[in-house]
Amino acid sequence: MKLIGMISIFWLFIVLVYGTSDFSAWGDPESPCNLHVSNYYIEHAMSDTSVPNIVTAILADYRGFDTMFETAVIFSAGIACFFLLRRPKYDAPEAVVFRHIQTGITLRIEKGGRLPKESDEFERIDTQWVPYDLVIQVTSRILVPFIQLFALYVVAHGHHSPGGGFQGGVIFGAAIILFAVSNTLRKTTHRVSEKRSAVLCAIGVLIYAGTGVCCLLAGGNFLDYSALSGLLGVDPVTARSHGIMMVEMGVGLAVTMVMIWIYYNLSSAGKQHEGL
Amino acid sequence: MDIVIGFLLVCGLLFFTGGSIGILRFPDFYSRLHPAGKLDTMGLLLSLLAMAVYVMMDFSIASFLTGLKILLIVVIVFVTSPTATHAIVDAGVRAGLKPWTKEGGGGV
Repeated sequence: MKLIGMISIFWLFIVLVYGTSDFSAWGDPESPCNLHVSNYYIEHAMSDTSVPNIVTAILADYRGFDTMFETAVIFSAGIACFFLLRRPKYDAPEAVVFRHIQTGITLRIEKGGRLPKESDEFERIDTQWVPYDLVIQVTSRILVPFIQLFALYVVAHGHHSPGGGFQGGVIFGAAIILFAVSNTLRKTTHRVSEKRSAVLCAIGVLIYAGTGVCCLLAGGNFLDYSALSGLLGVDPVTARSHGIMMVEMGVGLAVTMVMIWIYYNLSSAGKQHEGL
Repeated sequence: MDIVIGFLLVCGLLFFTGGSIGILRFPDFYSRLHPAGKLDTMGLLLSLLAMAVYVMMDFSIASFLTGLKILLIVVIVFVTSPTATHAIVDAGVRAGLKPWTKEGGGGV
């Protein structure tokens, strides 16, 4: 199996190297991308899409197909981490530690023992490391909503300033990871479970691809947002701006959920019952 | 107004200088974190305040919004920087690093 993998990677390498021979020289002023394309973007981005930030217009509109597969790559990175790290559910932990809150006694329950329900009386704690720090918890509790708000701002304001789905999604994911670091991993997985994060990141990619399919159904090309003008009830230029917004939201959702999904698996070595 | 801005900037730079000297000269991990956490926060606060005042000098809504954003950075740094220092010290204590004393040595 390993040999087959090696051989296929080697062939892929040769094909890629062969493919690079067709590239134009680095920095060649005569190459097509330096002759027409960049000038077209700079001159027409505003009149085509009514988006002042040319980078966003190129990323999500002119090169929308590329960005869609970038999102798919991020999604597959999350899935790869899942398959490499995640331990199956029956692979139960050696021992589970509970604290009796009223008396402060800790109970260590070996594998197969009967576990108490989490309630006002019993609280599950980590075996190795008990992350309990009031200062950090309170600070993160104050900061996390603002970071999330800022992430939404970055996503929504990508038309006018640096930002967009990828950046906003990473900031949103970092907010949730901050919550997980300052509290416990279990507390985070109670709020955003692994299943939910996986489903939502697939939905993020689906929003992107679905926008493209909507364009197809409306009679345009795939990811040609101006076809949505009838559906959205605006002129074609504004429709392209709105289409960019829709795919940015899809990208943001996918990136956020992949971030925390990867964090869940990495921080707990795939066990997800206790972690950083 | 220029005098106020200059005064705030010089004060901020003074705090930054003290912080840098402290990070270089103090004897161990914990005492080095003290200037890193305190003086840098204060220096950043003063210099960003100077910038906010500088931006808000011409009275318009756009410059007012920019100044407000700078002040928001001040608030966030003011909250997070001491917390980060606290977390680093906490990690040091948990990892078992002994603080420096005059007689006993210790520290890094």
